[in-house]
Amino acid sequence: MRNMTGLVHNEWLKLTKKKSFWVSPGLLAALTVLVTVMLYRFSANVAGIESGIAYAAGMLGASGTGQFVTVLSVVATAGIVAQEYAQGTIKFLLIRSRSRGEILVSKYLAVVLYILMMTVISFAVLFIAGGVTFGFGGTGEQWIEALKQGAYGFIYSLVYASLAFMVGVLTRSSGVSIGAGLIGTMFGAIVIQKDFYKYVLLPNADLSVYGTSGPPLPGMTVGFSLTVSAVYVALFLLAGYTVFRRRDIA
Amino acid sequence: MNLAQPNHPDSSQQERLEEPVLTLDQVTKRIGKKTIVDGLSFEVRRGEIVGLLGPNGAGKTTAIRMITGLITINEGDVRIAGHSIRNAFKQAIVHVGGIIENPEFYPYMSGFDNLKQAARMTDTVTDARIMEVIALLGLQEALHKKVKSYSLGMRQRLGIAQALLDRPKLLILDEPTNGLDPAGIREMRDYLKRISQSEGIAVLVSSHLLSEVEQMCTRVVVIQNGKWVTEHRIGDRKNATSMPELRLRVDRPSVAARVLKKLEHVQVTEVKEETSELACRVADADMPMLIDALREEKIAVYRITETKKSLEDEFLQWTGGNQIA
Repeated sequence: MRNMTGLVHNEWLKLTKKKSFWVSPGLLAALTVLVTVMLYRFSANVAGIESGIAYAAGMLGASGTGQFVTVLSVVATAGIVAQEYAQGTIKFLLIRSRSRGEILVSKYLAVVLYILMMTVISFAVLFIAGGVTFGFGGTGEQWIEALKQGAYGFIYSLVYASLAFMVGVLTRSSGVSIGAGLIGTMFGAIVIQKDFYKYVLLPNADLSVYGTSGPPLPGMTVGFSLTVSAVYVALFLLAGYTVFRRRDIA
Repeated sequence: MNLAQPNHPDSSQQERLEEPVLTLDQVTKRIGKKTIVDGLSFEVRRGEIVGLLGPNGAGKTTAIRMITGLITINEGDVRIAGHSIRNAFKQAIVHVGGIIENPEFYPYMSGFDNLKQAARMTDTVTDARIMEVIALLGLQEALHKKVKSYSLGMRQRLGIAQALLDRPKLLILDEPTNGLDPAGIREMRDYLKRISQSEGIAVLVSSHLLSEVEQMCTRVVVIQNGKWVTEHRIGDRKNATSMPELRLRVDRPSVAARVLKKLEHVQVTEVKEETSELACRVADADMPMLIDALREEKIAVYRITETKKSLEDEFLQWTGGNQIA
């Protein structure tokens, strides 16, 4: 994996040099501020919120504004392989002295960086908007909880972005992969009360439920869900790699 | 029917010393039950510009995609500078610069940013080398403009620039003059000749424009239905036909024809009284004999010209008259 930084740099520039690049972070920040204002004005549940950081901890997960991070990350991920085909640049990319595996890994790393960036933006905007609304104070415990929820939100986004990434490789279509990623997030809240459902990805991707509503099915833990999610992500990447490595570029 | 080698003693000597830059060895590609490329073998050597010619659907593009590793090979192998594209892709492809079909770039990036993209995928290309290639192709002014504002000619030049960045031994161009105007085609031709001569780069060009291939290439490989049909060195066309066809203008063509028909090693192919011409085939060595015979009969010879077949005529002959374009 020599010179991977050059490849990841390339992928990052392909994302950021687009004029539309700042639309997603801008939208994320605007929606986050809007939600904060709406909650403050119209919701009765905010009375107990002690500080901006506590507010951020509550919102970072999949049931809060963390969902925006996931949706926007899925949209960005869907195009990362599909667009190379649409532009014809896939040929430009694959006749270099880099293996297809390295190319695919560099693209996935760019996705990870993108989700990280979006999570950090989400965290920062929530902290500032929450701080202005509820005050900037906050305890160490609240900070730790916020960081944990940020990590959970990051994992949740990464799981569905990985799904979209695989579908993008398999279908070469950004539309289909956006659809696949979003359907995953939509059905995540539905729980089927059967034992096999523990091993399905959907109830496992959102780790924040363990802090709020408890395990989706009896016997599930954070560690269990983390393992199941990791296995699914590994399978997605393996499937994408297997197909991408052998595919004829017509 | 490899007509080239025997006539070129010095180049064949060199060829024995040096391994070909590109070797196709019985390369076969099947898609479903259809065989697109069937046991194709040929070589390209240093400093050569080889044209890959064939009617539509002959398998040119498929062959080029196998050479560049874009599609898998069912049987046989492609070796570039001695490395197999199947087993040592990275070592093989590092010697290749190419434009496959149209030169495709990231339209929202500048020409320079696109070249930087290519450079980051190599180990050796520096900014100084990028500037060198930009100067070579005269792209300085367009450098920081977005590629989407480029004309096709400019994009072709940028395509050659990215292909040359890592100092390839083999340049592969698929239909390089597609959509270019005559000035652009000439420019492209001059670049290619200059590059192959000055840097000794081997060039493989696929094209359906025969006149262009004739002017640009040192050799052509003709394929049809995925199979090798013939190879042909462009500079050698006179030697290629051992008995070139000559057209003689004389005062009494029918008498002259009678005289020539008596000679061994001379074939009279046409007599035209109305234009006072006759056509015949004769080897260079028998030419003095032919002249002497005509003089003995006091036949006045006004003009002798060689009738050259264009590459197009020959191409149609090789491929059985299939439509080319």
